[in-house]
Amino acid sequence: MIRIHPFIKIAGLATLLLILGVSIHPVKAAPTSQVPTAQKALINPDDSACLACHQNPNFNITIGIQQKETLSLFVDPSKFQHSVHGEIGISCIGCHEGFKPEAGHGMVYGSHRELTLRMNTICANCHQKQSDQEKDSVHAAARAAGKLEAAICTDCHTAHEVQRLKDPKTGQLFPTTRIWIPLTCQKCHSTIYEKYRNSVHGIALTDGNNPDVPTCIDCHGVHIIEDPTTAKFRLDSPMLCAKCHTNPAIMDKYGISTQVLNTYVADFHGTTVTIFEKLSPDSVTNKPVCYDCHGVHDITNVNDPQKGLTIKQNLLKKCQRCHPNANTNFPDAWLSHYIPSPQKYPIVYYINLFYTFFIPGILLPMAVLVLMDFGRAMVNKFTKPHSKKKIFYHTSDGEDHHE
Amino acid sequence: MTDKKPQVQIQQERTYPRFDLGQRWEHGLLVISATVLMLTGLPQKFRDLSWSQYLLSTPHRLEIFQQIHHIAALVLILEALYHIGKAIYQLSKRKLSAEFFPTMQDVKDAGHMLQYLFFLRKDKPKYGKYNFEQKVTYWVVFLGFLLMIISGLIIWFPIFFTDYLPGGIIPAAKLMHSTEAMVATIFILIWHFYHVHIERLNLSIFTGRLSEKEMKVYHSREYERLNRKSSKEINKPGDRK
Repeated sequence: MIRIHPFIKIAGLATLLLILGVSIHPVKAAPTSQVPTAQKALINPDDSACLACHQNPNFNITIGIQQKETLSLFVDPSKFQHSVHGEIGISCIGCHEGFKPEAGHGMVYGSHRELTLRMNTICANCHQKQSDQEKDSVHAAARAAGKLEAAICTDCHTAHEVQRLKDPKTGQLFPTTRIWIPLTCQKCHSTIYEKYRNSVHGIALTDGNNPDVPTCIDCHGVHIIEDPTTAKFRLDSPMLCAKCHTNPAIMDKYGISTQVLNTYVADFHGTTVTIFEKLSPDSVTNKPVCYDCHGVHDITNVNDPQKGLTIKQNLLKKCQRCHPNANTNFPDAWLSHYIPSPQKYPIVYYINLFYTFFIPGILLPMAVLVLMDFGRAMVNKFTKPHSKKKIFYHTSDGEDHHE
Repeated sequence: MTDKKPQVQIQQERTYPRFDLGQRWEHGLLVISATVLMLTGLPQKFRDLSWSQYLLSTPHRLEIFQQIHHIAALVLILEALYHIGKAIYQLSKRKLSAEFFPTMQDVKDAGHMLQYLFFLRKDKPKYGKYNFEQKVTYWVVFLGFLLMIISGLIIWFPIFFTDYLPGGIIPAAKLMHSTEAMVATIFILIWHFYHVHIERLNLSIFTGRLSEKEMKVYHSREYERLNRKSSKEINKPGDRK
């Protein structure tokens, strides 16, 4: 073996530590910088050339095949300054890069929407993840099917007034964002918004600024918004509601049971839906899910004096959608998410109680008797002297019979 | 038909009629329908287990399972109606045998048997035509299946039954149906199967007859009673209910 001088060893160790220190240091340093380097390159404080034209509120042009569509080219610089992009100092050409300086910037477009759709790809330069998610959304599918009005980035976020929606410290949505979201979706989905606005969730959010209730994206997702009319969405939906409704941290505040999923799954409909959801998620089934009784967007408090499901007539109407001949007794066939007790559904409770004692109380002794019988037969077989066979009746299992 | 049987036997050992053809057919139908009902019903009960979820994984499969279950249920119901109808008919003609009703003797026999099992007695009880174990089997199955049929019909036709009864009977019937099914299954597996397969192989429900040896050992009181009569009477089919 080659002998290594101690000095070389120390020098080698020092070099190693130095390399290690250098390689760790930049990783620690990165988060401290306010603006990522990629965005720094976009900053150009000199937007004056652009604004010379575009800050004029009356800067309109007419476009389209028949030149009937008026397009405002006005950008309010003060509003942009207060947008999330303005705050970090992104300049016009940060997004609108490579535009030709002449009037019209060398752009050819048939309509306003066509222009917007083309410009929309700019967002992906920085927001790749969100853009990719959106490509799998119901909106992207609608656009691919020719419905060009389906939402794109700027339809929700605006182009020049993009607001910060999440608290950078916690990564959570601002309370104001949660209220802003339904108002944004409402721009297209106005009838659904009306239903939501008057639902138990919508009222709590809009009037009470309650952070516990779901806003649109809590159920539908954000960017990767799924088609809610598919069989899969239907089968998945109970788990969607269960996200909050099985969480005691939220439900205990309002005295709402967290057993709603268990009790649903324990019944005919819930059992079937959960098995299909797990093994054939694309199955079409009319077995009810949460929203068939509680409403899709117009979810009401079950104790609501007009629409609440605790009023039997209201529940009956839901039953009759699939069981048209059901009468007033029928809704009680559903345990209403209750776990049977002496107060609620005593028949079910006492039958359960009976079997809880009956099964071990009767079947266990029976099993013991059977085992004892078998044991005794074995004992007889191996302890019986052979000579006795002549005296007693001969039997196949060697048992004796006194006469 | 029954007269031919003794000629087949080469040995001089006599056999004794136990179950007539109708009863053997009834048992056969019961075995087939109950097995199908259990096999198609248990996956619906044990929905947490992966194999039952696999069996019921699509709406189509679920429907097939339910239809098979319903067809087997109809067979069982018809068999039960025949069984009860026949009993009522025999009762009206005063021909219903009382042999299968529980008596005080059965309680005494059970006590005796318990002493035997605890090694307190050396001899087993001397049984009549049906021993207490067989009567327990009959009545547990009879009452259990009656409950299964009633509760099953309630959950099969919930709209019809809630026209007359409160809605709460649907979940009650559902609970009873699935739990009683477990009781019946476990009971048949441990009690009935032990006594007819393991304790001794008793095929009289298929052959209709018991050998003289079996009669002497397992139904000695009945054997003695029969041998007090003339042998002609024994082979008369009307001797049984």
